Amino acid sequence: MTDHKRRDSSSHDVGFMPKKPSAEVESELQFHLEQRIQANLAKGMSPDAARRAALERFGDVEDVRDECAQLLTEDRRAEARRDWLDDLRRDVRFALRSALRAPLFSALAVATLALGIGANAAVFGTVKSVLLDALPYGNADRLMRIYSPFGKGDQARGALSAGTVSDIRERQHSFESLAAFLGSRDGILLGDQAQIVKAMFIEPGLLHTLGISPVRGAGFRDDDANHDTTTVVMISYGAWQRLFGGKEDVVGKVVRLNGISRTIVGITPRGFVPPQDDADFFQPLAMAPLMRDPVSVRGSHNFAFVGLLKPGVTPQMANRDMNAIGAEIERLFWKDNRGFGLIAMPLRDSMVGDTRAPLLILLASAALVLLIMCANLAGALLSRTISRRKEFAVRVALGAGRGRLVRQLLTESVLLSAVGGAAGLALAMFGLRLLRRLALTSLPTYASLSLDTGAIIVTSTLALLTGLAFGAGPAISVGKSDPQGTLRDESHGSSESRRTRRVRGVLVAGQIALCVSLLAAAGLLARSLWTITAAPLGFDTQHLLTFTLQLPNAKYPTVDSRVRLHDQIEDAIRALPGVNNVAFTSHFPTKVTNRNGFFIETAPWGSNQSVPFITTARVTDNYFKTLSIPLLEGRVFSTVDRANAPPVLIINEAMARKYWPKGDALGARVHVGPPDPTAPWITIVGIVKDMRNDPTSLAPEPMMFFSQRQQPFGDNVIIRTAGDPTSLAAAVRRTIAAIDPGLPMYNVGTLDDVVSTTFAPRRLPVVLMAAFGALALLLASVGVYAMFATMAASREREIGVRIALGATRREIASLILRQGGVWMLAGLAIGGIGVVFVGRFLRSELFGVPELDPLAIGAAVAVLIVCAGLALLVPIRRATRVDPIMVLR
Amino acid sequence: MFAKDSGLLQGTVELLVLKTLSWGPMHGYGIASWIESATDDALSVEEGSLYPALYRMSRKGWIKAQWRVTENNRRAKYYHLTAEGRRQFRDQTTGWQRFATAVSQAVATKTAPSWAK
Repeated sequence: MTDHKRRDSSSHDVGFMPKKPSAEVESELQFHLEQRIQANLAKGMSPDAARRAALERFGDVEDVRDECAQLLTEDRRAEARRDWLDDLRRDVRFALRSALRAPLFSALAVATLALGIGANAAVFGTVKSVLLDALPYGNADRLMRIYSPFGKGDQARGALSAGTVSDIRERQHSFESLAAFLGSRDGILLGDQAQIVKAMFIEPGLLHTLGISPVRGAGFRDDDANHDTTTVVMISYGAWQRLFGGKEDVVGKVVRLNGISRTIVGITPRGFVPPQDDADFFQPLAMAPLMRDPVSVRGSHNFAFVGLLKPGVTPQMANRDMNAIGAEIERLFWKDNRGFGLIAMPLRDSMVGDTRAPLLILLASAALVLLIMCANLAGALLSRTISRRKEFAVRVALGAGRGRLVRQLLTESVLLSAVGGAAGLALAMFGLRLLRRLALTSLPTYASLSLDTGAIIVTSTLALLTGLAFGAGPAISVGKSDPQGTLRDESHGSSESRRTRRVRGVLVAGQIALCVSLLAAAGLLARSLWTITAAPLGFDTQHLLTFTLQLPNAKYPTVDSRVRLHDQIEDAIRALPGVNNVAFTSHFPTKVTNRNGFFIETAPWGSNQSVPFITTARVTDNYFKTLSIPLLEGRVFSTVDRANAPPVLIINEAMARKYWPKGDALGARVHVGPPDPTAPWITIVGIVKDMRNDPTSLAPEPMMFFSQRQQPFGDNVIIRTAGDPTSLAAAVRRTIAAIDPGLPMYNVGTLDDVVSTTFAPRRLPVVLMAAFGALALLLASVGVYAMFATMAASREREIGVRIALGATRREIASLILRQGGVWMLAGLAIGGIGVVFVGRFLRSELFGVPELDPLAIGAAVAVLIVCAGLALLVPIRRATRVDPIMVLR
Repeated sequence: MFAKDSGLLQGTVELLVLKTLSWGPMHGYGIASWIESATDDALSVEEGSLYPALYRMSRKGWIKAQWRVTENNRRAKYYHLTAEGRRQFRDQTTGWQRFATAVSQAVATKTAPSWAK
């Protein structure tokens, strides 16, 4: 056996073996024939006869050769495949071993990748579901939303009046079909127990316009809305599951919604949400009766309007169409429509709404983190390759091909990125769950935050590309390395060349620049949030219990009956121990969405001026006292403001100052709401101190308040308590049940909770940006550490010599610091440019903070410098402790 | 020698090749010559048909080929048994012997069956 092996290797000459299968077979058969001829000659045949006999004995040479050549070709191919797989298996095994041999590096690389990829997958999943996924409508691409803007901000998305809806229908030529609907409202579903549900009025054609058909039942018929009392209703898929247990026989069932029996005629598909708000019940909306009310037909702007574009009509064309109609309507109905225009925008833009900017900011931040991650990994791999140069040189010297070596390195990178990518996906799923909890209220209703296949594909490609990108650099440098030189020159075996040092410096500078930008962004957003939350709201939010009641119209149909109930409830609650005060309001503070136009008796608006729209709430007598809002002039509401008494109004300081600059607001008379010349003048009887309503505005906006004795609508209750407000909830519930057991009481909480939900959408980007900033800081610190560590290690011998020659520690430290500090300064300088861009990019999200807020940016730079300083302390300390005897030996 | 239509089972050729190579590495010509002499040329068919069989056996991993120099300094492709080939040789030899014994025993039988007249 051993003998056999030895002979094997002696005959293993590469040049000896024919390369092509056909040539190999040819020479094998040739040998056979020659041997046979020799044997025949030896038997005494003539050369000619010997040849003929040999061929005859052999058979068809051609046939045999072809068959054998084919067999050999197939064989060779199979073997090449086997070899390739063998190599791969060996590479992977080797990669695993070398990864385990440098556990710190591997753990760092995997963690870095996981964080970078995880953050990107989570953010991409969110952005995709909000901005890229199709809306849950059959006609998603051709749907437009029509608004009637009358100002800036949320006034740019004004609702339409019934008259305008009808005018658009008559004049437009962009849309195939159009449908109006109203925002959702709370309703009462009577059953074993009264429940609060969301109900929404929609024109029967809405579902058809959106491209939706009911999953059960026939849905609305076009004439359903024409009955005076509509007796049919549709329910959402969610309501079907939640309220009716998903039972099949629900269609045709009669439910009592808001005191009226209605038949369920259909169920909307799963995942369907209306273009605005969300609802459990849909009721048919009839426009015709509304057209008969001369005041509200053009004076009340309540309607949402969506249209399905005709084929071939672009959104721009539709918008121009609407602009033109808007101008015409403004001219025709000057009195009501002054200052109102019409615009059309793609429904997606309308539904994405305010989330677009924060999402894009998030996406940009995640991308920056990814860049930092790549730079970090590239740096780490560079160090690792340099420290492994000897290993490679030995392997090249032992006959490993460069190609194999490069392939080996690429395998290592891809392996790392595969593990990192997998960990990143797990992290992303966790992150999305977190995001779902944080962001539920601040994202469009149709967004389903999940890691879909698209996100996974993009992320794994990202992982692979990253692996290839940072594997390629070191691989190329190995391809170029000179094994002899590396092996011979021992002292330089672990040092870096000028070029790699520069590459590493650029990488660190880039990381620092990106990190400063991200931190500055986080700082600016945090400052902005801090500014808007820290600024006084104008009322005391502590010790306030809040909840909402729903007064059934059927039971409390008149103003008097409602006022009586309000008084009764307020008196009973005030009698409870621990209660200081109580009030009803139409909207909780910071949640007032209602706006009304107003006209001053003595100073009608000039014809070139549009009507101002003022935030308006309806409150009971004790509202201002309950919230501790001081009265500045006049009086608050009281029992004298009966329903049939002259109508009164209280305004805030901001409104008084803006519209009565001479200070004569008290006693002034105004018209509010749809301009109805027959309506009585309303007298301003009090001026109260300002309170903030819009959380993004530091300056309090003008506000007006009506008395609930004259307009008793809106049943949000606020109770000022002596101690913990929530401990009183049970007693309050009992008290109300004693007055009317059928009154649903819900949304029980504190005013602090209410205010907190107002600020929630502002908090989300700050939390996420801070997380990204921390991530970037961590990665950049690691990058700085790695740079100084490698630098110090590669100059160890030189440092030893310097110490031996009498250099002090301080001199050594400043030597290292100067070398790396240059790159850090460069990074900070580039980061300064980045900060300017960041400020500009964030402008729309910053409130009460300048784009280049020195405090936020200074803090960002300081945090970075402190962290980088800590990171470089360790290697510099180690450098100054170099023992010259040890290194120089 | 062993054409596909010679009536010889494919397995028989392979067993004979395995037997030849069990003596040691040999080239195709040597294998053919040995089989001819060992069987007294009783199976005499075209020698060329041996080669496809050799390639098939290589592919199955029973034998391996290597180019070497003969005693007369000629290059030739030598085949040798692999571990798997040796195992095949053992198994097939026993199988063949059992088969051959059974068949010859049956053919040589003198006692007539009960249903024979």
